[in-house]
Amino acid sequence: MIALQLAISGIATGSVYALIALGIVLIYKCSGVVNFAQGAYAMLGAYVTYALLKLGLPALLAVLVGMALMALAGMATERLILRRMLKAQIVSVMMVTLGLLIFFRAFCLAIWGPDQIAFPQVFPSGSIDFAGIFITYNYLAAFALATTLSVAFLLFYRHTSIGLMQRCAADNPRAALAIGIHVSNQVSIAWAASAALAGLGGALLATLGGLSLNISDIGLIAFPVIVVGGLESLAGALIAGFLLGMLEAFTEGMLSPAIEEFLRGFTTIQSVGALQQVIPYGLLVLMLLVRPQGIFGRAGTERV
Amino acid sequence: MSLSVRNLSIRFGGVAAVSEMDLDVGPGEIVGLIGPNGAGKTTFINCIAGVNKPDMGEASWKGKPILGLTPAALLRLGVARTFQSVVSLHDLTVLDVIKLGAAAHARHKGGFAAQFLGSDKARDQELCETLLAPLNLADVAYSQIQTLSYGQRKSVDLARALACEPELLYLDEPVAGLTLQEGLNMGAVIRSVRDRFGCSVVMVEHKMDVVMATCERITVMAHGSRIFEGTPAETQRDPEVRRVYLGDA
Amino acid sequence: MTTRQILLALALAILFAAIGYNSGRFWAYLIYAVAIAGIGALSLNLLIGFCGQITFAQGALIGVGAYSAAIAGNAGWGGFSLLVAGVVTALVSLLIGLPALRLRGLYFAISTLAAQFILVYFFKILQPLTNGVSGLVVKPLTLFGRPVANDQEYVVICIAILFLSWLFLARITRTDMGRAFLVVRESELVARGMGIDVSRAKAQAFLLSGFFAGICGALFAFTSRLANPEAFEIALSVDQTAMIIVGGLGSLTGSIVGAAFVTLLPEAIERLGEFLPVAGLVSAFREMAFGLLIILFLLLEPRGLVAFVRRLAARRGGKANALAARAPAKTSNRAVTAQDGR
Repeated sequence: MIALQLAISGIATGSVYALIALGIVLIYKCSGVVNFAQGAYAMLGAYVTYALLKLGLPALLAVLVGMALMALAGMATERLILRRMLKAQIVSVMMVTLGLLIFFRAFCLAIWGPDQIAFPQVFPSGSIDFAGIFITYNYLAAFALATTLSVAFLLFYRHTSIGLMQRCAADNPRAALAIGIHVSNQVSIAWAASAALAGLGGALLATLGGLSLNISDIGLIAFPVIVVGGLESLAGALIAGFLLGMLEAFTEGMLSPAIEEFLRGFTTIQSVGALQQVIPYGLLVLMLLVRPQGIFGRAGTERV
Repeated sequence: MSLSVRNLSIRFGGVAAVSEMDLDVGPGEIVGLIGPNGAGKTTFINCIAGVNKPDMGEASWKGKPILGLTPAALLRLGVARTFQSVVSLHDLTVLDVIKLGAAAHARHKGGFAAQFLGSDKARDQELCETLLAPLNLADVAYSQIQTLSYGQRKSVDLARALACEPELLYLDEPVAGLTLQEGLNMGAVIRSVRDRFGCSVVMVEHKMDVVMATCERITVMAHGSRIFEGTPAETQRDPEVRRVYLGDA
Repeated sequence: MTTRQILLALALAILFAAIGYNSGRFWAYLIYAVAIAGIGALSLNLLIGFCGQITFAQGALIGVGAYSAAIAGNAGWGGFSLLVAGVVTALVSLLIGLPALRLRGLYFAISTLAAQFILVYFFKILQPLTNGVSGLVVKPLTLFGRPVANDQEYVVICIAILFLSWLFLARITRTDMGRAFLVVRESELVARGMGIDVSRAKAQAFLLSGFFAGICGALFAFTSRLANPEAFEIALSVDQTAMIIVGGLGSLTGSIVGAAFVTLLPEAIERLGEFLPVAGLVSAFREMAFGLLIILFLLLEPRGLVAFVRRLAARRGGKANALAARAPAKTSNRAVTAQDGR
């Protein structure tokens, strides 16, 4: 059944989108900044994990160390750069994160070159047969890991004391400071966690589609996710991630061919190109017109 | 009465910021609106200045109802206001800000073509004479706002509000941040502005000395409502007012 | 803006036009590349620097201008193609800007990001109109019945248009409309309180900005002889935004300075790279330098080069002057801070 096949592949990629989007929402909640460099962290994480695997580390260790290194990178970014820009204009801060994206891309380009690299087998090869559909272990593992970590992170955020401190610091930094929460530490933790999650996401994407600089593009795909889910909602990021992953899969698998057929009948247009990459943005625009706060957001924070 | 407000109320969440507030201002009168912190003075002004829409009440200016009108519409009716915080506007000069104020009123705004071609120098001169000179700002007409002192910037804001010849002027803490002497000077300026332009003035202020010296009548506000109204001398003597300000002695 | 400043600018324009007209193709290309980028940067600065409307759609809008001019030019409309490009792009810009009337800064910025992607996508698939991914070949611009013959002639045209655009926008800032932009940027609440029609001001900003972005795109199409979707991707928006940040938000002259800086930097690095043994890494280093430049500028001199130079000049002029010059750095950047964005 094609639909089910598409759904499965959509959920798998969607779970990775959710992972990346979680990080962006986390940073937005506590720094008020949309982090364009999130995609860069994903890409860096993928390359760093690759390097560690090449060094001979066992898969699990490579991923964990990779995440730890990315956490350090996130913390460093926050401390060295973002902290100096607390009073700056929003466009400046967003440009700084864009600058980071450009810098990290160039960095990876310098070290590993522009070509796609085959990512070593991390998960066993082969696939399982589920109701007539083939699901590779790669997809299964990526989905399992991404979802587990996302959900674990959500639970951590909601139910642990550090999570509580994070939420306090994000909602009302002044009040948090007043009750003794070290807000700037919490902000660093948020950046570290986001970068680590993104790094894992990038590594997973590499296992699915190979290692290349284009992994950083996922940072941009995250925008429809966070708008649909709600800029301030972690759970929304998770759910919207799955939704958009599936939307992409179904568009590529079913909608695009259908539209192409239709267009070929009436016009000289032969192909709809990468419609699956643009449709999420169409949904984003629709969402902003109809319900800007997203599915899970609170109304009133986004209109003038 | 020129400005008449009755029963104005507004709630924010569960808090009644203004509760059945009344205010009367006669033509050409300078009325001071005073009260302890949190009494609701600025919220009240925001309600009659088109910033917030009150939940209840009526307000009329020269017989016309004004609640719910936008600031732009109010300006067309001759109601202008100054702002508490003096916004620093890029590298605009004093004259630029004045012209902004004038632009709000169709009769006073400059022609686009004249401005674009830079041929409106005569208008600059005119604005200087009518608005800046009385406020001792003529020397700094071409200076950037950023280079002026705080007191001067407040004067510029006042001049901006006056630029469209309002008939009713709301001044939101016009002497906040000024020294006592500067405040008294500003008070004198406000009186001279009223004498010269004939407008009514509602002045929200904390500095008692300035209020007593400048205003002709005073309305005291506490907990969102009017608790007293009278001349400065009467206000100083009233026991309820003293209690509200000084606590139960 | 004084007559002296206008004359100085005119002199500079004539100087560079003369240099360009009498140089080889390479220098001519560099000069008109900077001029064209400058027009785009001016238009973007009007929107972001003057009116405070953050947008990522600049690349796509320049593309709209390019394609409009290409289609009109290929159909034989001559010099009018530029006008067509300006008008069409102004209208598209207004369309993109409509959400700004209802959405807050950050959400609006994201909607412009979507517009950027969606527009470029349409460039790619509307084959019959744009020739899709292969790009649309653009015949040379014909002015007064005569086609522009070479790069040197384009230099003169581009510099002339840059000068006129700069002059036009500088005059706009001296009108009530221009002043209203600045107040809207600082605080929409205060703007409304002053009686400014905020929606109208924003619409005007989008129209004007779009017009000049269209002109930029048109000149781009004619000088590169090709309108190709890849040229108008988000990287162009980033480049243009970098230009106005380096030059200084809200500074018209700064936009041109920033355009020169950002356009010439990669060239400079390429030259430098020829001296280094690591030939293959030149493009990577160029990108790293670009990213680093953006970060450092925003960290250390957020008001851009023009403000930096003014500060240096003021310091020479004595301590008192320096104090006066320092004050702006604190107050003028107030517009929209990170905390406001939630």
